[in-house]
Amino acid sequence: MKKPDEEETRMGKKSVGRRTFLKATGAALTAGGLAGILEARRAPAFAQGAKLHVLRWVDFIPEADAELKRQAPLASKALGAEVTIEFINVNDLQARTTAAIESKAGADIIQLLWNWPHLYASALVDVSDVAEPIGKAQGGYYDIFNSTAKVGGKWLGVPHGVIGNTVAYRRSWHEEIGVKEFPKTWDEWRQVGKKLKAKGRPIGQALGHSFGDPPTFCYPLLWSFGGAETDPSGKKVAINSKGTIESLKFFQAFWKDACDEGGLAWDDTNNNRAFHAGEISATLNGASIYVVAKRQQDKIKDDKGQPLYLDIEHGAPLPGGPAGRFALYVPFQHGVMKYSKNQKLAKEFLKWHHQKANYEKWFEANGAYSVGATKAWEDHPMWGKVDKPLRVYQAAARQARMFGYAGPATAKATEVYTKYIIVDMYAKAAQGMKAEDVAKWAEGELRKIYG
Amino acid sequence: MADAPAREDIVTRLPAVRPGAFRRLLEHEQFLAALLLSPTLVILGLFIAYPFAKGIWLSVSSATVGNPGVFIGAENFVKVWNDSIFQKAAQNTVIYTAVATVFKLGLGMILALLLNHHFRGKRLIRASILLPFIIPTVLSTFAWKWMFDPTFSVINWTLYYFGLIAQRIPWLSDSNLALGSVIIVNVWRGMPFFAITLLAGLQTVNPELHEAAAMDGANGWQRFWRITWPLLLPVTMVVVLFSVIQTFADFQLVYVLTGGGPANSTHLFATYAYQIGVATGLLGEGAAISLAMFPILFVIVILQLWYIRRVEGA
Amino acid sequence: MIRGPRWKRWAFFYIPLTFYLIGLLFPFYWMLVTSFRPDNELYRSWRAATNTPLWTLNPTLEHFVYLFTNTVFGTWLYNTMFIAIMSTLISLFCGLLAGYALARLRFPMAGSLGTSIFVSYLVPPTLLFIPLAAVIRNFHLQDSPWALILTSPTFLIPFCTWLLMGYFKTIPRELEECARIDGATRLQAMIRIVFPIATPGILSAGIFAFTLSWNEFIYALVFLSSPQQKTVPVGVVSELIRGDVYFWGPLMAGALLGSVPVALIYSFFVEHYVTGLTGAVKG
Repeated sequence: MKKPDEEETRMGKKSVGRRTFLKATGAALTAGGLAGILEARRAPAFAQGAKLHVLRWVDFIPEADAELKRQAPLASKALGAEVTIEFINVNDLQARTTAAIESKAGADIIQLLWNWPHLYASALVDVSDVAEPIGKAQGGYYDIFNSTAKVGGKWLGVPHGVIGNTVAYRRSWHEEIGVKEFPKTWDEWRQVGKKLKAKGRPIGQALGHSFGDPPTFCYPLLWSFGGAETDPSGKKVAINSKGTIESLKFFQAFWKDACDEGGLAWDDTNNNRAFHAGEISATLNGASIYVVAKRQQDKIKDDKGQPLYLDIEHGAPLPGGPAGRFALYVPFQHGVMKYSKNQKLAKEFLKWHHQKANYEKWFEANGAYSVGATKAWEDHPMWGKVDKPLRVYQAAARQARMFGYAGPATAKATEVYTKYIIVDMYAKAAQGMKAEDVAKWAEGELRKIYG
Repeated sequence: MADAPAREDIVTRLPAVRPGAFRRLLEHEQFLAALLLSPTLVILGLFIAYPFAKGIWLSVSSATVGNPGVFIGAENFVKVWNDSIFQKAAQNTVIYTAVATVFKLGLGMILALLLNHHFRGKRLIRASILLPFIIPTVLSTFAWKWMFDPTFSVINWTLYYFGLIAQRIPWLSDSNLALGSVIIVNVWRGMPFFAITLLAGLQTVNPELHEAAAMDGANGWQRFWRITWPLLLPVTMVVVLFSVIQTFADFQLVYVLTGGGPANSTHLFATYAYQIGVATGLLGEGAAISLAMFPILFVIVILQLWYIRRVEGA
Repeated sequence: MIRGPRWKRWAFFYIPLTFYLIGLLFPFYWMLVTSFRPDNELYRSWRAATNTPLWTLNPTLEHFVYLFTNTVFGTWLYNTMFIAIMSTLISLFCGLLAGYALARLRFPMAGSLGTSIFVSYLVPPTLLFIPLAAVIRNFHLQDSPWALILTSPTFLIPFCTWLLMGYFKTIPRELEECARIDGATRLQAMIRIVFPIATPGILSAGIFAFTLSWNEFIYALVFLSSPQQKTVPVGVVSELIRGDVYFWGPLMAGALLGSVPVALIYSFFVEHYVTGLTGAVKG
């Protein structure tokens, strides 16, 4: 209301007024954008005292956050505005986002996981002008972002990265039972797991209400047997199918034969610690099991006293089923909020961060945990330097699918996901409910959501 | 903030500053009541009235995050009513509240009676039993979460070590046990406040009454039931009332411990409302779930208030 | 002390009390051990012969050091304390006055007003924080401790009011009337006669209010954003839980440091509180 005038008067004659600045940046953008400004070695003149507030999760890899903290003052200098990055627990991100959108006040840029751009579409600024050039310059975005960050043909989030997940397993334990290569089909894995569980080394899988591990396991399992939430239109519920029931039946046997049954209460953290303590032989996870084991190699050791990470193989995506082999990865993007008074500045910040020199440092700090959002990063020299078990993540994001499949990843798919209906479907099966009844239950729940 | 002594100063000086009229006004009950109630009403009016009204509006609207939505009547409530997860959450909430409150009251009463004796280290023990109540719930719940850990549970380890169990107890992975485990944590957290409040109440009981009753041949239980309990009742009712409301609307504990899982067996009204309203962005439906507990609470409150008044009247 | 034979003392006093203490304090013991336990002991199989969950042979201070060097824990502690004290004082002030009015004064709508204050306690905070965030923005209180100092009383005042109302009702009216005959005004009688007698009730309400505001999570999460403004519960959860790796040591160290000082303060109050009532009220 009053603010712009106040700012202008406070700034006096020495600095550029807000309106002048808007014109100036507008012109600069058409003439080559931020790169042009930077080449001219002149910080773009944002209203003095302008602040940019970026809200992100606390990264699973502390080094990645450290790198962003390091970049904040650099960005402030380059943009002529004060950039602060706030990190909060991933589970609390949506509470903050919702309150911010509803009260029209809060962070200017918010990190959006999964398909949240669909969820918050009406509160997000179209950032196609930022996202398109980055995608074009860097070999194109992974397909998954077309369904998560693009809403109605417009980019509502600038893709930032993808967290892949594959099965981490103990090489020596598998070799002991004669398994040299990780099973490629579910049935094979069940046989392997059966032998391992008999030796007190079950497969660990979380099935609780937790945002990462349980869904990233359950959705691909469903898909690999040909199950799907809906038909391709996303309107007709298709969950009560032969494929779903088969996957449920398989899972019941798999759970009993091969898995640690405590997994029903596990969240995303349990399998890491169980793996590090030698309680489980294999588990689906991001790179964090390996990365942490290596970083704390003097603390995390195997039963023979050797550093555990030497025995961790991370080479295996989830096995495949009759319908194929799939993955559900966690994509994330940055959204610029409509209520923000600094939308231009926010976009400039994103452009700045996505410049190769800056983004690269963040990418490297992640050490293969979060991979790039565009395909160009697959060719980055880092992949030659990372440990062999982590190289599987190099092109992993290519095969990712989003929940909602076979339909689009709309807000309704999010509802299915946040209600943990697919996860609970498998949890119910694990608890002994009949596969047909479980599928029927899920169909009922999905009908209520998809209408 | 003005605290008690400061106010006292003001009051003692009052007659000198404003003689006559104002002082007489202060003697007027209705005026004085309005004056005394005003700070409360201002704060509640400023901070609760709007959100409360907005909450009611949301529950009858199709609002989602970022979209104000339109009036849709009772549609949200109908949808919620037919939702199997909601039904499960409602059932869980009732069990959770009822069981936890009974245990908090029962165990708290016994503890208060124990602490009412004189013994060495009384002061230290009285203070230390309050610890569970003091520590921020989120943090103590994380400690419990780890104590219940399916793989590393220290409780299981101890029981196993002493040969009391042969297999791990699935504290949080079994549907029925999970709700029980959540109740245990709630009782652990809430019981100390019951105990201390009841202990304070016990202090008011005149020992002579007990001695007289003992001389008349009343045993321990009779003395408790006939003398102690009636005297404790008014304070107990208030504490129970607030505890019921809080337990009914509990959020943090379940959110941290299980997130409502496994398979929704520990979902409560508040966690489910949060999941729908915040995680899914369906503000209208979330508000409807939140408000669905309102009538139930309201009935409980009215009954208890009526009871308190009756007891006081007697 | 329980009179009678020794076995009776054990059966009805020492043994039950011990069970209570173990039950109530074991989690604290567990936190204590964890906060001194070196990390490598955390990654040990529960069946391992070397597993000693109940104690540690190599205690370390590294978690406390981490807490104070890598986070602004001291600041969080101060913020939490400040917010809790201020909102408790506000709530007690309001609760005392309102409780007295509702318990003692005759005015129209006394009953319904009392009930509506009560009803405001029923409003579920889980979703309330969303519209409340708009109120906070309108008052320009975002990221300020005052956002919490002013909103926490909304759920503290109803309890304080009702609890104190209960206490006031147990105080005989005659005491006040005597003072008034001696020339005291209504306010003076209230402050000099009624409030001192209700001290245990005030302490009880204060302890409750302080603890609730000390505990508060969701408002603190949503209304505060800079690390320097955060409270202990939010700060610890935001900075010590990283996705799938919990920092158990610092987390437990933070939990302990966040509760022991309060326990010490309470230990002082509790004595006053439980003995304060004795003899003050007859019957």
